[in-house]
Amino acid sequence: MEPNTGTAETRSNGTASDGDDVAALESLQFTDEIHRLISATTTNNASSFTALLELPAPEAVELLHSPESAKLMAAPAPNIEDFKASFHFPSNSGLIERAARFSLFAGVGNNNNNTSNSPETPSNNPSANPQKAVKSEPAETESSEPLVSDPTVEKRCIKRKDREKKVKGSTKKSKTAMNESSEDAEKLPYVHVRARRGQATDSHSLAERARREKINARMKLLQELVPGCSKISGTALVLDEIINHVQFLQRQVEILSMRLATVNPRIDFDLDSIFTTESGSLMDSNFPSMVMPLVWPEVQVNGNRQQYQQQWHFDALQQAVWGREEVCNNYITPENSLLSYDSSANSATLHSNQMKMEL
Amino acid sequence: MSPMNNPQDLNPSSLKSRFTTRFLRALTKINGQKPISSSSPREMFQRYRRIKVAADKSMAWSVRSRRTWSRAMLWKLRSRYSCRQASSSRRSSVRTSTIIKSRQAKTSHEKENKNTTTGQDEVGFVVQADKLRKLVPGGEAMDLCNLLGETAHYIKCLTTQVQVMRKIAHFYSL
Repeated sequence: MEPNTGTAETRSNGTASDGDDVAALESLQFTDEIHRLISATTTNNASSFTALLELPAPEAVELLHSPESAKLMAAPAPNIEDFKASFHFPSNSGLIERAARFSLFAGVGNNNNNTSNSPETPSNNPSANPQKAVKSEPAETESSEPLVSDPTVEKRCIKRKDREKKVKGSTKKSKTAMNESSEDAEKLPYVHVRARRGQATDSHSLAERARREKINARMKLLQELVPGCSKISGTALVLDEIINHVQFLQRQVEILSMRLATVNPRIDFDLDSIFTTESGSLMDSNFPSMVMPLVWPEVQVNGNRQQYQQQWHFDALQQAVWGREEVCNNYITPENSLLSYDSSANSATLHSNQMKMEL
Repeated sequence: MSPMNNPQDLNPSSLKSRFTTRFLRALTKINGQKPISSSSPREMFQRYRRIKVAADKSMAWSVRSRRTWSRAMLWKLRSRYSCRQASSSRRSSVRTSTIIKSRQAKTSHEKENKNTTTGQDEVGFVVQADKLRKLVPGGEAMDLCNLLGETAHYIKCLTTQVQVMRKIAHFYSL
């Protein structure tokens, strides 16, 4: 501060000592310089500077040139400070230029900081500016360096990410390649298998996989058919169960055919009766099965089945029944069982039919 | 008696109805052929055999020949029947039966060779697959995949057969 003022005073003294003309000229030069500085500073900096500069400049000139400036100097005490502040311009300008450079260098985030720093430092403490400026410069440089390093680091990170992405992309590409190959395989005729991730995609394995899937589907079907098979796990056991079931069914057929052979056949029976017993109700009536296939469509068409049936079985039975006495005996027994059967309207009609049969 | 007891009564084209009609027809034929009074075991046995054959035949007929097993069964029955018809005496029937058996053995052997040549992926199921082949008519000539499908249909048909026969027997016994 003081040396600055000293330099300013020496300047002013120098200019004053040379003589009035010279001093005047020099003062003019000085004023010119000051104006230049003001203009320079105004272009670079915020408006606060210009406000500060405009005031002291003309006053500084008067102070410099005339002894009357002592009065001026004495009178405007705050002007001294302003004057002093004004003579900080060169350093400030240098600061400002550096700040500008830093701002350009640092980037977006720090630009505001730098610009804010540079006007703030002179506005807040114009006396302490250079020191602060000096201090701030390295700080700014320091701040700039990490900034510089950060983008490089960022770039490195980005590079890493790119590499990773590339790696991922390559794996994805490989997967897609596999999928594509599998898709290509899918486009072939007959092979309708979707290759899953990590599975081989050559035609042999695909065909095998198709076969296996078919077989598994059929096994599931069989498991559903065979009772008690769904709980079992493991295809060998399931197959055993299936084999057992088939053998059981075949044996059942044999046993039932034996039974049918031993049981005396009643000539009269019809489809309807069988299915009514299935549902739990009694049979409608009886008529000889010999006639049945012929009668059946007619019977279905007509609503009144019973009439037909009665006629038919009466006529047919005469031929059949009278020929065999023993059959009659057999007829009696089922009739008794029928009588003992739970009665309903059906059973009543049945009973009547049975009576007719006996006749 | 109201016919409305069973509104959904019969699907005339269903397997069950087709089988029932045929089987009943065959049964009546068998019953009409010989008097039941003679209850000698031999005749009984013959009747039993005939009834069984009739059951299988009618079942296979109901399936028409859409399935391999039905076709095989029909072919078998027909060949046996024709051979039996060709030979009147017992000896010739025995011979024919042996011939039939040898033929079947040959064909089955050929089919087994075919199977071995084609190979099987699942090694663990060979035993069961062979058993199944013996059970299901016409199963020797099929690969595992088709065999399983045929067994499924065969089981379904067998169950209907057993159901109907049981109903008839029950009806008879009443």
